[in-house]
Amino acid sequence: MSGIIDDELRETFVAVADILIPAYGAMPAASTVDVGGAPLDRILTLRDDLLETFIRGLAAMAGKEPEGAARALNESDPGALATIGLVASAAYYMNPRVMQLIGYPGQERRPIDPDAPSEYLQDGLLQPVIDRGPIYRPTPEQST
Amino acid sequence: MVSVNKGSKVAEVLIVGAGPSGLVAAKHLTQSGFDVVCLEQGERVDHGSYWGDKPEFELMIQKRWHPNPNVRDLESDYPVNTSESDVPILMYNAVGGTSIVYGAHWQRFMPSDFRVQTLDGVADDWPFTYEDLAPYYDEMEAEIGVSGLGGDPALPAGKGPPLPALPIGRMGRKAAEGMNKLGWHWWPAPNSIASRSFEGRNPCALRGTCRNGCVEGAKATFDVTHLPAALKHGLRLVAGARVREILVNDQGLATGAVYIDRNGRERRQLARAVIVCCNGVGTPRLLLNSKSSLFPDGLANSSGLVGRNLMLHPYSTVVGHFDDWLESWLGPAGQPIQSMQFYETDTSRGFVRGAKWHVLPGGGPLGGPPAPGRPFDEAWGPAFHQNRDRIFGRSFEWGIMAEDLPEEANRVVLDPELADSDGIPAAKIIYDYSENTKRLSEFHLARAKEAMEAAGATSVTVRGLMTDRSEHNTGASLRATGHLMGTCKMGNDPRTSVVNQWGRSHDVPNLFVYDGSVFVTSAGFNPTGTICAVALRSVKHLIADRRNMKVAA
Ligand SMILES: Cc1cc2nc3c(=O)[nH]c(=O)nc-3n(C[C@H](O)[C@H](O)[C@H](O)COP(=O)(O)OP(=O)(O)OC[C@H]3O[C@@H](n4cnc5c(N)ncnc54)[C@H](O)[C@@H]3O)c2cc1C
Ligand code: SF4
Repeated sequence: MSGIIDDELRETFVAVADILIPAYGAMPAASTVDVGGAPLDRILTLRDDLLETFIRGLAAMAGKEPEGAARALNESDPGALATIGLVASAAYYMNPRVMQLIGYPGQERRPIDPDAPSEYLQDGLLQPVIDRGPIYRPTPEQST
Repeated sequence: MVSVNKGSKVAEVLIVGAGPSGLVAAKHLTQSGFDVVCLEQGERVDHGSYWGDKPEFELMIQKRWHPNPNVRDLESDYPVNTSESDVPILMYNAVGGTSIVYGAHWQRFMPSDFRVQTLDGVADDWPFTYEDLAPYYDEMEAEIGVSGLGGDPALPAGKGPPLPALPIGRMGRKAAEGMNKLGWHWWPAPNSIASRSFEGRNPCALRGTCRNGCVEGAKATFDVTHLPAALKHGLRLVAGARVREILVNDQGLATGAVYIDRNGRERRQLARAVIVCCNGVGTPRLLLNSKSSLFPDGLANSSGLVGRNLMLHPYSTVVGHFDDWLESWLGPAGQPIQSMQFYETDTSRGFVRGAKWHVLPGGGPLGGPPAPGRPFDEAWGPAFHQNRDRIFGRSFEWGIMAEDLPEEANRVVLDPELADSDGIPAAKIIYDYSENTKRLSEFHLARAKEAMEAAGATSVTVRGLMTDRSEHNTGASLRATGHLMGTCKMGNDPRTSVVNQWGRSHDVPNLFVYDGSVFVTSAGFNPTGTICAVALRSVKHLIADRRNMKVAA
């Protein structure tokens, strides 16, 4: 696979992403929703400011047992682990299956009807506030 | 070599800065027949480039669309040194100014805000009252298309917003139920977001990405609401024009400005009068950079107050997590409801003044950038999923916008080393929370926690005032407002203020300031509604008084 980072770093990323985001209940592990594929390249293209720290962290973990390496990186270079975690989470939450599982449609359009009567006026939710009356201090004197 | 702006005659009025204040002035001046040039260091924003309808939007708000210019670091931004400030500085530099990324909470101040000295014995009264400003609030709300519900008992009776309120959603309802249990004030909040089609704007569709650019075209940004009318009436807008200094003649009158264009060329725009609208940081920076033999301490600065009395609305929040599914990524963001229960002074609390609260949605699942160094087992592995299940879709915040009082020691100065990409000295911020602010914030956080619990929150996360200055430019757990006020205070006495009640400099009779720099106090409300009402009042006075204005020959 070719792209912004080489295959070895990509493999390291996927292995570490599975430690950061493992399977849990109905939720899939990161590797099973392709976090190391096209979404990774897209994220790193859009956010090339992350690249240096991202690669630094992966290089430090390359070839090591992923869980131990991720825990160690969180101590030795917390910024790098946070960056790798951000990229992994972003790729994960952009996956349609993951979005569906957590009940998130994305920032979708939800058209409103401005003329529909407001529930809070109909069911009395706002009434106690209205009944208590003004809560501001008036201007003490008129302007000169 | 300085070249005079191509084809430029001497403008009748030069406006520096095309944010809300500058474009309110531009629209009204051009409509009244003035020949106006506006110089803006940023560019026009292509609303098609917003990320609000794309899955990557949360990633992009952490960099390209970050509200902190130091993080965003675009060519049009200038750096701000906040190493000696408790609060980071947020703004957006483009045609439309910071309204491009603002939250569109469109507030009025309350009557007491204009009379803090008389009522609370602190700071100074404003040179006018709420009642004086009310007609301009009305007019701005109509111009901008504010959605909201009239009759809020926290304000004097009045016309009320022109468009119906946006829905308060499940979050607003939840929060309101908590407030009702405690007998506390809340109200459907005013937003400068169209709830129905309004003058070319579409109705809001609750995407909740308002601060990342509204892809629906519902949020009022001033490049949409005010610029077209100004252009139609002849405004000459020069984007990418970074003003280095305001020029003066030997009679002490402003004669125009020198700016650097995007080809790095120094140019000069001459004018009979100059209005500075660069915000509470950019305006004092420009005036302090405008030194001359007549004005060795910077322009309009005989009081020594240019840059002083900086107020920033220290911000803190209580996030409540609920069992119920609240769809808490939905907009408006914007604000569904607000509260002024603890707005007015009650000295038994150990501080003066207060804060407006507002409900803000919890956002998407990605949230802000992860805090580096968080214990591994709290952030990752099974905890990654558990945290999301607890928070996502089930959380919202009560944001607390503290009024900070003016203090001369809180200030904008020129940084001796830092400069923008054109070599113009950058601003440095020196700002500490006052004891009053700390007490105010503590009290309000405790009450907001009670409000969340009354609403049924199963847990709360309290985020107090930012204290770690190293977090300013990382974007981590950002708690700041981008409300920049007070640095060219208005008043009647030239010894204790920079401009008069019409925004006119006491020292330079054809130099004006219309942005939030002129605020005498900050109130505890988002300021743009008041910035625009004050700018409108000032510009209408200028228009009415045009024959008497002293101008550079
Ligand atoms: C994230 C965020 C959310 C906000 N939410 C709200 C909200 O919900 N409600 C609210 O009331 N307010 C909000 N604000 C504040 C609001 O955006 C500002 O109050 C408002 O934009 C101020 O308008 P202005 O015209 O005074 O300044 P700005 O909008 O900051 O515009 C100033 C303009 O001047 C230009 N400029 C500066 N220096 C120079 C120079 N030397 N040469 C040329 N051009 C220059 C800048 O590029 C900029 O475009 C928010 C701010 C931020 C950052
Ligand atoms: S909530 Fe409304 S105003 Fe905000 S981004 Fe969505 S459509 Fe635009």
